[in-house]
Amino acid sequence: MLVLGIETTCDETAAAVVERQADGSARILSNIVRSQTGEHAPYGGVVPEIAARAHVELLDGIVASAMKESGVGFPRLSGVAAAAGPGLIGGVIVGLTTAKAIALVHRTPLIAVNHLEAHALTPRLTDALEFPYCLFLASGGHTQIVAVLGVGNYVRLGTTVDDAMGEAFDKVAKMLGLPYPGGPQVEHAAASGDATRFNFPRPMLGRPDANFSLSGLKTAVRNEIGRINPLEPQDISDLCAGFQAAVLEATADRLGVGLKLFQQRFGMPRALVAAGGVAANQAIRAALESVAAKAQTVLIIPPPALCTDNGAMIAWAGAERLAAGLTDTLETPPRARWLLDASAQAPAGFANTRAGF
Amino acid sequence: MLVLAIDTALDACAAGVLDTNAGRLIAQETLPMRRGHAETLMPLIARVIESAGIAVAALDRIVATTGPGSFTGLRVGLSAARGIALAADKPVVGVTTLAAFAAPVIGENRKSPVISAIDARHDQVYFQTISGDGATLVHPRVAPIEEALAASRFGAPHLVGNAAKLLADRWPTHLAPPVAVDPQPAPDIAWVAWLGAAVSPNAAPPRPYYLRAPDAKPAGNFLLKTQTLAAL
Repeated sequence: MLVLGIETTCDETAAAVVERQADGSARILSNIVRSQTGEHAPYGGVVPEIAARAHVELLDGIVASAMKESGVGFPRLSGVAAAAGPGLIGGVIVGLTTAKAIALVHRTPLIAVNHLEAHALTPRLTDALEFPYCLFLASGGHTQIVAVLGVGNYVRLGTTVDDAMGEAFDKVAKMLGLPYPGGPQVEHAAASGDATRFNFPRPMLGRPDANFSLSGLKTAVRNEIGRINPLEPQDISDLCAGFQAAVLEATADRLGVGLKLFQQRFGMPRALVAAGGVAANQAIRAALESVAAKAQTVLIIPPPALCTDNGAMIAWAGAERLAAGLTDTLETPPRARWLLDASAQAPAGFANTRAGF
Repeated sequence: MLVLAIDTALDACAAGVLDTNAGRLIAQETLPMRRGHAETLMPLIARVIESAGIAVAALDRIVATTGPGSFTGLRVGLSAARGIALAADKPVVGVTTLAAFAAPVIGENRKSPVISAIDARHDQVYFQTISGDGATLVHPRVAPIEEALAASRFGAPHLVGNAAKLLADRWPTHLAPPVAVDPQPAPDIAWVAWLGAAVSPNAAPPRPYYLRAPDAKPAGNFLLKTQTLAAL
């Protein structure tokens, strides 16, 4: 089974061809990612209209490269998959429409993939992991703990009620005048900082649910910045270290609860899987190792190129859905919001927050 | 030549197949539509191709409108056109909505200039002024309505485009009134197809013609701003 995957939900224009064998094993034949970081850097964050413009300009060329590198012609594809959301709608429209066009020309089945589902199924592509497992997805747009029980069967155990974790890193970097994208800059600065100098809050710590909150922590950092003038490099390092330490402690606590909820409802997970750009942070990785060990499970983190947004994960999720007989029509709408777990409810007291979608 | 034409830039979702030898569209469908192009377009193209009784492989060229128009709409049409072209290995070209609006009336009355205008909101229009015999007098631009009205200096015009009535309503009373006003909500897909057949592929790239920059300002000094905010 050969599937083309297209990813355009944020600031990466990506396409890949993945082969899925009958036994469920996988081979990535090509995986092309064109990051738009350069386009967005002057603005200190992703600008939706600029992202949409870049996707429409780049995508057909990226798909052509992915097809060429894979050595597979369009007529041989068993399916064409695109991330149909959730994400920035302008880019989603470009990716989904392009996939539909290819599907139309060759009468190939279309698979409209939920971007979060693609992250969730990635460890089956990289590590042939069996269900069920616990996913911690933390990126610039999402922060969720999800029980992955089967293809199309996901239960959200926890979510952020405000900022995504990667977003919080990027915003702190922006406040400190560090270049975009700021997450890695904060991690770098934190390495030479004193994490104990500032006593930042640990949001949600000790709560019985597995939700996250990051905006209060971000505000606390901003308030401290306001008190220090001029801001010396050591201050920046100490602020980053303090912020990162607070995130680590909150994450460990939230994930500990998430894994406990997982075990109560679904038994032992076969692994704790981390995905999303935040999983590239070495300090967070170390914290996740200890969380997994405490829960007597193993930690799996796919290689960085497959942790962040890419086409291979979309192609793979498309292949998994196609193997399960799940395809979509040419009418399929692009979706800015799309819950992975349709039954997920916002936690009590957070009905009107991002946790509702 | 068989040309597949696509237009989703304004308030319609349209596709047609032009057979230049037959001198007519052999299939077409146009749905008035303000939103929902992304869901509607591809099934519509599938119906048009089926109704034309041809294989996609038989097409010689794909054309889509490039704008100006709804940023989202024109990206739907151009993604579709470029995707089909890529998958079927066919050439793809773009034509502007302003040209497609003007094409039917160019040459009709050689004395009257044609003002092709599209509502750009905020009291602005995208417009282009063309002489009756097809020479461009004012290049496509986005400008306040007042500036488009200044094109009255070329003589009583034929107004076309979805902002034709907008201009007619504001036309200075001391000047000769427009010779005609054709306020269509979207270009005629047949003219999109004919223009697409006529243009040279090198001169008509299938790229969005926004005429407006993205609404975003480069980041300033956020550290200073943060310190100011936090100090409040």
